[in-house]
Amino acid sequence: MDRMDLSCLESAPRSRAAELCPADLMSQSVSGSSFPLPQVQDMDAFQRDAMAYIKPNHGTTTLGFIFEHGVIVAVDSRASSGTYISSQTVKKVIEINPFLLGTMAGGAADCQFWQRNLGMRCRLYELNNNRRISVRAASKLLANTMFSYKGMGLSMGTMIAGYDPTGPALWYVDSDGQRTSGKVFSVGSGSLYAYGVLDNGYKWDMAVEDAIELGQRSIYHATFRDAVSGGTVSVYHVTKDGWTKVRGVDVGQLHYKYYPECDLHPCHGKPPI
Amino acid sequence: MDYLMGLRGKDYVMVCSDTTAVQQIITIKHDEDKLMSVDDHTLLALSGEPGDRVQFSEFIKANVQLYNLRNSRKLGTKATANYLRGELATALRKRPYSTNLLIAGYDKGKGPSLYWCDYLATMHKMNIAGTGYGSYFVLSMFDRLWHKELTEEEGLALMLKGIDEVKKRLVVAPPSYCIKIIDANGTRTIKTISDSE
Amino acid sequence: MSIFEYNGAAIIAMAGKNCVAIGSDLRFGVQFQTLATDYQKIYKIHDHLYLGLAGLGTDAQTLSQRFVFKHNLYKLREERNIKPSTFGEMVSSTLYEKRFGPYFCSPVIAGLEEAKDGTWQPYLCGMDTIGAIEKAHDFMVAGTAPDSLSGMCESTWKPDMEPDELFETLSQCLLSGVDRDALSGWGGIVNVITKDQVITRTLKGRMD
Repeated sequence: MDRMDLSCLESAPRSRAAELCPADLMSQSVSGSSFPLPQVQDMDAFQRDAMAYIKPNHGTTTLGFIFEHGVIVAVDSRASSGTYISSQTVKKVIEINPFLLGTMAGGAADCQFWQRNLGMRCRLYELNNNRRISVRAASKLLANTMFSYKGMGLSMGTMIAGYDPTGPALWYVDSDGQRTSGKVFSVGSGSLYAYGVLDNGYKWDMAVEDAIELGQRSIYHATFRDAVSGGTVSVYHVTKDGWTKVRGVDVGQLHYKYYPECDLHPCHGKPPI
Repeated sequence: MDYLMGLRGKDYVMVCSDTTAVQQIITIKHDEDKLMSVDDHTLLALSGEPGDRVQFSEFIKANVQLYNLRNSRKLGTKATANYLRGELATALRKRPYSTNLLIAGYDKGKGPSLYWCDYLATMHKMNIAGTGYGSYFVLSMFDRLWHKELTEEEGLALMLKGIDEVKKRLVVAPPSYCIKIIDANGTRTIKTISDSE
Repeated sequence: MSIFEYNGAAIIAMAGKNCVAIGSDLRFGVQFQTLATDYQKIYKIHDHLYLGLAGLGTDAQTLSQRFVFKHNLYKLREERNIKPSTFGEMVSSTLYEKRFGPYFCSPVIAGLEEAKDGTWQPYLCGMDTIGAIEKAHDFMVAGTAPDSLSGMCESTWKPDMEPDELFETLSQCLLSGVDRDALSGWGGIVNVITKDQVITRTLKGRMD
């Protein structure tokens, strides 16, 4: 009988890098516990200074929701440092594998690295067990990693969305170690605006096209109100056959599609001319 | 946490405010009226520090009414709003009032208008306006649902939707609210929502 | 976050041949929250003189009202419009009055002034918060995206542009400049001032 390898479900011990399986050459970089720590007295102060050099991805709107026909994930694409827009074409959905998506809010590098790492561990699980990892387990792997680094300055707010034999699933995981499942989530600086539109339009039994439109519209309204969200709206749809990218629209054009006339939008007064 | 929301409809302005009076971590009152009539066609919706809020609004109200008496003519909404902004801006460099407000009014011949003004005395005319954490959720919702032919019933439904959203999402959501309307017939309260609802 | 970045603004003024143009974005926001997209930062003083005020919104409103008031008094006393250069000095001294508690605004002044030979020449200047005048013969920028705005102007401005070309150049500079700034944009407005008329146009921009 196959013995199930559960080692990947264990959280990486914080200061016991040596205990990790030495035969696994990848483990040093996989576990992450081999990251060298700075030899300083005051770790907190060092972290604060170091954070100034790390590119934060603070301006972000991401959302995800489950409905009758799967999961919708929608994100914007802006990266900013302070008030400067450093990129309008950031990919904030991380395609972990054909059935798993992760969204990105917080530190760009933290999200990218740990979700790539998660993708690898999910693949290893598949090879070991001859079946795909559940969304529940995948999100737990990430949450355990996050918890093991708690207090060390990681910044990540993510949703893990996917489809497994139990059906569609959506989990919220962040760098505080919080992990929870839910039907509707939104993360990032524009999330409050996104919730306003999303909650209003959400129905369990909506049609796929309506759900995609709702995701897109929620992100659009968030980019309008939130100065540090913008760029393009990307929408993904996850079904039992895996995810597909269904939308990728420039917000610059989207506004004039929704509001072809200037005075249709409440934020316009009379046009000055 | 203070919540103010205002919207301009077809021929009216509607404003909504929470009705809680807070002292540190205690709610000392559940039916505090933060929507104050300056005269029969102008309404101030106020939020911010309780002392400043009351002092400032009463000062404005007294002076606007004094002007009306002395000159036998009424100050319009725009004039009231600009007078108020001037006072707030002067105070800013002396002893600032921590008061954010919405000025809603209806002028015969000109129609309804809504002004947003923060404690720094930055003022702007808007169709939908709000202050406080609650406004984050509700502004985007109103962006989505507002249109310029909004009837009174639609406006009220929108306000109630906004309150529901705040209650659903905001950790520090106030429990009770009051909605008032100003149109050609003057000012009236159209809905109060108490804790249990 | 600096007090100059509380509301957000982008202003450009440019000189052309016997004409001058001044434009601003239309966003009004408080920090990262956008509240309106019909907020001009340009104020008309008279037909040949416009003033742009970037910085803290409340001070811009207070100052614009004071300058309109002062110009009204000037007109009553002198029975003529103020010359742009005179107005510049007046703005400067008004700002310096608050040397130790300044208005958090940086003005840009654009106007046309009649020269001795009877032609109308552009007058362009900018200022810091306490009134240090910086005259320019080409362009002047102010607001929360000065680097990208001046970069655009630097590479596209050329001398002696006619009104149409001046409008086009300024518009492109404004729209491209604000695309890299989170706190300004959401459309724009441009005034091209010539001897006989002022052409005002609004610009469609990205609304994010």
